Amino acid sequence: MKKTVLDYALKIRLPITVFVILAAFVLTYYAARPERDGIGYTPEQPIDFSHKLHAGDMQIDCKYCHTGADQSRHAMVPPASTCMNCHSVAKKDSKEIMKLAEYFNKKHSIPWKRIHKVPDYAYFNHSVHVNKGIECESCHADVSKMEKVGQMESFTMGSCLNCHRAPEDHMPYLKGKIGKGPENCFACHR
Amino acid sequence: MDNANNTGSDKSKLFWRSIGDYNNNPKYIELKQHEFPDGVSETIDIKSMSPLSRRKFIALLSATAAFAATGCKDYPDKGEIVPYNNQPEEITLGKANYYASTYSDGSGILIKTREGRPVKVDGNPDHPVNSGHISAASQAGILNLYDPERLREPAIVKNGKLIKESWNNIDSEIIKALESATDKGKEIAIVTNSIKSPSLSRLLKDFIEKYPVAKAYTYDLFNSDNKDKAWELSYGSGKFPGVSIDKANVILALESDFLHSDENAIGNMKMFSRRRDVDSPTEFSRLYCVEGPMSLTGANADYRFRLSPEYQLEFVLSLLNETLFKGRSNLLLGFQVEGLLTKYSLKAFSEKHDIPLNKLKGLVNDLVKNVASSIVIAGDSLPVEVHIAVNLLNEALGNTKLYMNDSLPVVHFENEPGSDIGNLVRKMNAGNIEILIHLDSNPVYHLPLDYGYSGALSKVPFVVSLTSSENESSELSKYILSINHDFESWGDFQLRNSYLSVQQPVIAPLYNTRQKEAVLLNWINGNKNYSEDIYHKYLMNRWQNEVFPQFNSAVSFKKFWLSAVHDGVINLKTMPLDIPKFEESALDNLNKNYNKSGFTLVLMKSASIGDGKYSNNGWLQELPHPVSKVVWDNYAAIAPATAKELKLSNDDMIEVESSGKKLELPVLIQPGMAEKLIAVELGYGRTKAGTIGTGTGFNAGLLMTKSSGISNWIYTGATVKITGNKHQLVSTQEHHALDDEFVKEIHLKRDLVKEGTVEDFIKHPEFLKEHGHDFLYDENHEVNSITENREYTGVKWGMAFDLNKCTGCGACIAACNVENNIPVVGKEQCSNGREMHWIRLDRYYSGTPENPVVSNQHQLCQHCDNAPCENVCPVVATTHSDDGLNQMAYNRCVGTRYCANNCPYKVRRFNFFDFRENLEDGYFQQDSLQLLHNPEVTVRSRGVMEKCTFCIQRIMEAREEATKDGRKLKGSDVETACQQACPAEAIVFGDLNDKDSKVSRLRDHKLGYHVLELLNVRPNITYIAKLRNTHSEEI
Repeated sequence: MKKTVLDYALKIRLPITVFVILAAFVLTYYAARPERDGIGYTPEQPIDFSHKLHAGDMQIDCKYCHTGADQSRHAMVPPASTCMNCHSVAKKDSKEIMKLAEYFNKKHSIPWKRIHKVPDYAYFNHSVHVNKGIECESCHADVSKMEKVGQMESFTMGSCLNCHRAPEDHMPYLKGKIGKGPENCFACHR
Repeated sequence: MDNANNTGSDKSKLFWRSIGDYNNNPKYIELKQHEFPDGVSETIDIKSMSPLSRRKFIALLSATAAFAATGCKDYPDKGEIVPYNNQPEEITLGKANYYASTYSDGSGILIKTREGRPVKVDGNPDHPVNSGHISAASQAGILNLYDPERLREPAIVKNGKLIKESWNNIDSEIIKALESATDKGKEIAIVTNSIKSPSLSRLLKDFIEKYPVAKAYTYDLFNSDNKDKAWELSYGSGKFPGVSIDKANVILALESDFLHSDENAIGNMKMFSRRRDVDSPTEFSRLYCVEGPMSLTGANADYRFRLSPEYQLEFVLSLLNETLFKGRSNLLLGFQVEGLLTKYSLKAFSEKHDIPLNKLKGLVNDLVKNVASSIVIAGDSLPVEVHIAVNLLNEALGNTKLYMNDSLPVVHFENEPGSDIGNLVRKMNAGNIEILIHLDSNPVYHLPLDYGYSGALSKVPFVVSLTSSENESSELSKYILSINHDFESWGDFQLRNSYLSVQQPVIAPLYNTRQKEAVLLNWINGNKNYSEDIYHKYLMNRWQNEVFPQFNSAVSFKKFWLSAVHDGVINLKTMPLDIPKFEESALDNLNKNYNKSGFTLVLMKSASIGDGKYSNNGWLQELPHPVSKVVWDNYAAIAPATAKELKLSNDDMIEVESSGKKLELPVLIQPGMAEKLIAVELGYGRTKAGTIGTGTGFNAGLLMTKSSGISNWIYTGATVKITGNKHQLVSTQEHHALDDEFVKEIHLKRDLVKEGTVEDFIKHPEFLKEHGHDFLYDENHEVNSITENREYTGVKWGMAFDLNKCTGCGACIAACNVENNIPVVGKEQCSNGREMHWIRLDRYYSGTPENPVVSNQHQLCQHCDNAPCENVCPVVATTHSDDGLNQMAYNRCVGTRYCANNCPYKVRRFNFFDFRENLEDGYFQQDSLQLLHNPEVTVRSRGVMEKCTFCIQRIMEAREEATKDGRKLKGSDVETACQQACPAEAIVFGDLNDKDSKVSRLRDHKLGYHVLELLNVRPNITYIAKLRNTHSEEI
């Protein structure tokens, strides 16, 4: 049987084209799915610390531990000494607290796994946002309900700009209290 | 010549940048017409490259990376956050802490630390002299702390190799030797630079008490011994007190670079610029400068006369004759002096040295008219007799009132009479010295060869060097003890009796080092109970017993001490000293004649690297010389006429022979130099200074002698031989030239530099605008632009440079380098025009090469409203912000360099390499230097464009503070790094929309102008035209 041009197109050209298009979609989807951005990332921490217990049930203010939140660019993960303010007395015999006490007494730092990260080339500042009245959960989701903290919101430039452009849509509790955020490059990149 | 550039008042004035420019050298014209010199982007030889093309390579690379990334299971991992175990109370991560301290040169500093590491140094605002400002060298000096080649542990030298050893072993060996020397009655010599610390001086005395055979010898490569000796001869006792320059209406500087390389340059600059305020033009002081080399002070002079330094005595005596005996002074002197002076007349002097008599008469008139409010300053390098004559001249003019008699220089430790370095070397040669200690000094490099110091050193059995990095002297030692940097040390310093400043450590020693005082103290204590804070305790103890009681204070000592440490300085009460009667016997020294054959050689202080201390500091090696703009080198500067006579051009090597010593040096033709004069800077050509400093420049110290010169730094009778060799000198001025001729065809005038005279300004305050084309800000004149007009509703940032105050010292460049993580690119890359400084300090000459007038102008990103760089960027990496900033997003930049090409000011800089990695096999990429980076500024990598950001990190920080306090950001909240550093306070930054702010007042000032405003780019940097305080009519 003589091969026609049509045969060639149907048997070879078409499958290849379809495959390439599909592969492109699959790859793009795979690369762009929310987990790639870190959403859902909930690592095991060196100490099984529960935000739900501390921030939720016991109602400890975020800024009791994250003291930099309204002061500085970093919210700051607290030093072991802050934990020991209570745990030198409270629940001393729990397994996790014994781990903590060991870190503290050996003067070692606790290597917490990082969950939320803005890339190095973006200069995010906690204090400006917190001092404008933005609640922590607007970016970090409701940590007080999380036994184990994970990333729930997107940390892309797009998600930053969404809020900067229309803050009231994303944070209705600030209606009338907040203006638009800066959109110029230097606001974050320098 | 047709590339004329008109000035405000004088249409015929031409500006030229170098001799090549002036002579219309075709090579130079060629250079001017390109943005970058030839070959700037062509270092690649295609044939020698791998056959794998770049595209293919990158394709393969990205495919590999993509597969690796997809295959990687743990991609969401973001690393760890490691908090403190127990966080220090004063530290908030991400916030800077500031500590007041003192450099060992005595200048008061404020150190900025981030997370415990120093990242920036500025002047201490509470310090009476520094008041917030320090020199370029001190700014960049922070690099020395993190220098990867600092000594990391003490060592013993065996066969030229350093064998590391513990402090304990070395200390006990040394103490054993010290004790045995004491028993044998042989001398222990301590060689050090002059002592500026009262506590160290006390410690040395304690050391001598413990080991009575010990003696300390001090020396300095640069000193004011001649000035002080003349003062002692003229007034019986004491040291030269210094001058309140701000009280002088007329200043006559003789071979004196009081604005730049003088020890008190920062204080002088502050006082000088106070009298250059355009809002009170009648208060302008008038600066006359008479000098041989072209110094920065000369460049700032209203009148400058060229005079080889050996004729200075003649000049001062002629001035004395003119002022003393024409009924113009009340000072009565003996006949003997009169007899001496009548030999000299100004007329004969003016004829002999080709200096216009009418201008000299103008000088005399000015001096006589301003009795008791003028001052004559002689440079430290001049011999004693000139200083005596100057003292007499100031006495005759009643200028003694300008001496700072309420704040006198202090001597903490004086060499015993008769025990100078010469004496020491004799004793070394005779074998009388058992132990020699180099206390943070480098005599092998500094001392003139004819002392024979290094030869004598081999006769000393036990040589110990206390030093922070290896040097020429430590090389010849048995023990090398690693010592702390200033930022790791405790101490106190006192230059004048009116204040006392404290040094405190701001970081724990990075390596296994100790501070030099603690090492001596440990030897006194016999190596018992050493702890890191022994000198801290010693210091406090001295303060408690000697300083605290002076105050009769009601507070406890602890409080007093902590407040002194906090402020970094305490003010002491002083009684103003009455200047004693002038001793006529001093005048017996004036009858001096110098041998005047051949060339005169002047050895000068390098303002950036000092006596070689900062040799290994890349930032300072790359700081353009304030006048010649040469980087990474020193050179023999000669006058254009002398060069013509000898048929020399730039980069030719000559052999200079003086007092039987020879040195080969490259030639730089320096306009404005006196003829038959060779000026060379010291501090270069080190043989053991680390990767950056070793072999950079030429060691002019080899031409120094003990006594054959007019002074240590001035020698007559030198000869010059052309060797035919070449050495490339690299300067930052010739490239990035703004091409006058090219644009002239589009626009009629460019008016880059506008100047006038004080008289012009007083008579016609609008003179600048009348000549200029200021239609941009004229509402009636419509100008079309392709850029959309933006409304700036909030803050709009702008800057102003007051060119009357600016002296051109370069402190702004150094401060910008530190603040903005600007890399060192090296000499080779500088020669390709790839230096990365965000501020370029342009220097223009006008007039003739013999007597040029110098104009300085900063060029940096002008943050134009209609920025031409923005609309050519294909990837929108450079854009405009709502507060008037021209922004640069490094992450978007793909390196097309279109923006640099389209920038009329040529202020954009491209990272042709990752310069940290490129220079000397990654010298600046080593671990210790990572600590130096400002964490608020991106460290730019290869292939991106960068430029001045108006210190956006500081603007953002001020914004954060304002938000925290719940208020609006004000223009005055922000201070840029260059503005903060400027000792003359010539830089003003702020909000242009705030009509009361200083910057908007200057923008609307009658003397304010913009560079290239005809291009309608609407720059946001205003220059205040320089006013020369010259006489309008000839006298």
